[in-house]
Amino acid sequence: MSHRYVYGVVNADEAIEFEADAVAGAETVYPIRHRRVAALVSDIETTEPERTDEDAKRHDDVLRDIMQMNGSRTVVPMQFGMVFENERALKNVLRGGSRAFRRSIREIEGSVELGLKIVSDEADSVDRDEVRTTVANELESVADDAVDNGLFSDRLILNRSYLVDHDDRGAFDEAIGRIENDYPELKVQYTGPFAPYSFVDIRIGAQ
Amino acid sequence: MFVLDDLLVRPFVSIVDALHMLALNELYDVDAIEAELKENQLLYELDERSEAEYRQRKEELEAELALAREIHEEFASGRIEVKS
Repeated sequence: MSHRYVYGVVNADEAIEFEADAVAGAETVYPIRHRRVAALVSDIETTEPERTDEDAKRHDDVLRDIMQMNGSRTVVPMQFGMVFENERALKNVLRGGSRAFRRSIREIEGSVELGLKIVSDEADSVDRDEVRTTVANELESVADDAVDNGLFSDRLILNRSYLVDHDDRGAFDEAIGRIENDYPELKVQYTGPFAPYSFVDIRIGAQ
Repeated sequence: MFVLDDLLVRPFVSIVDALHMLALNELYDVDAIEAELKENQLLYELDERSEAEYRQRKEELEAELALAREIHEEFASGRIEVKS
């Protein structure tokens, strides 16, 4: 029996069906609508998909495709692994969460998430607080919002995600370039654009 | 805090029991293993670790994480008892 794997939620009038290299070998992403919102899903045989690197990338790529179709489409992203037993269960969640989904769509409309990690060499003697201050001065006036993602390694000086309006991408890229120039001894990992996972606060239970 | 709380609510837990539990928590530290998984991926993305090294370490850490979670679940359910 086939279940529904959910990538994200969009305004119903922006929901479309498209071909994709989707999670678990699926080839089509399509909408399941409830009134003014729609979930974009693909079919899957299991309710507990294994998080492989390949499928995690497919999940992100599908969300990026959704965001980039016809200019910019706003999607409230789901984390990897959200599966519903059937269409009815999913529609129940869309019905119950309709207001929260629409509020989130409004909050992130026209924006993308960009990630920044700054990594030191093992033996560096850089002033970490100074680096963080420089980065904050450069980026936080351009970004609409920012969150800290935790320093999971001793080598990490900074690990943050930024919510940036499409129109400010150029200015943000330039600021990143200045940071790279200021600290050539550090590694700067600049990633994205992603759907704004870190800036929506919706938890839904599958099934 | 862990030891104090534990002794307050379970008066029959000895200091040795509590130390055993702390040692097990240290050995099966889910947060530390999850952090190392993320660091492994970061080092691979920065080209400081080859794909083969990355995949091997990831496999090892995922096995450690599954075991650590299982141990914590068993602890929580009371199916594992610490004996001194």
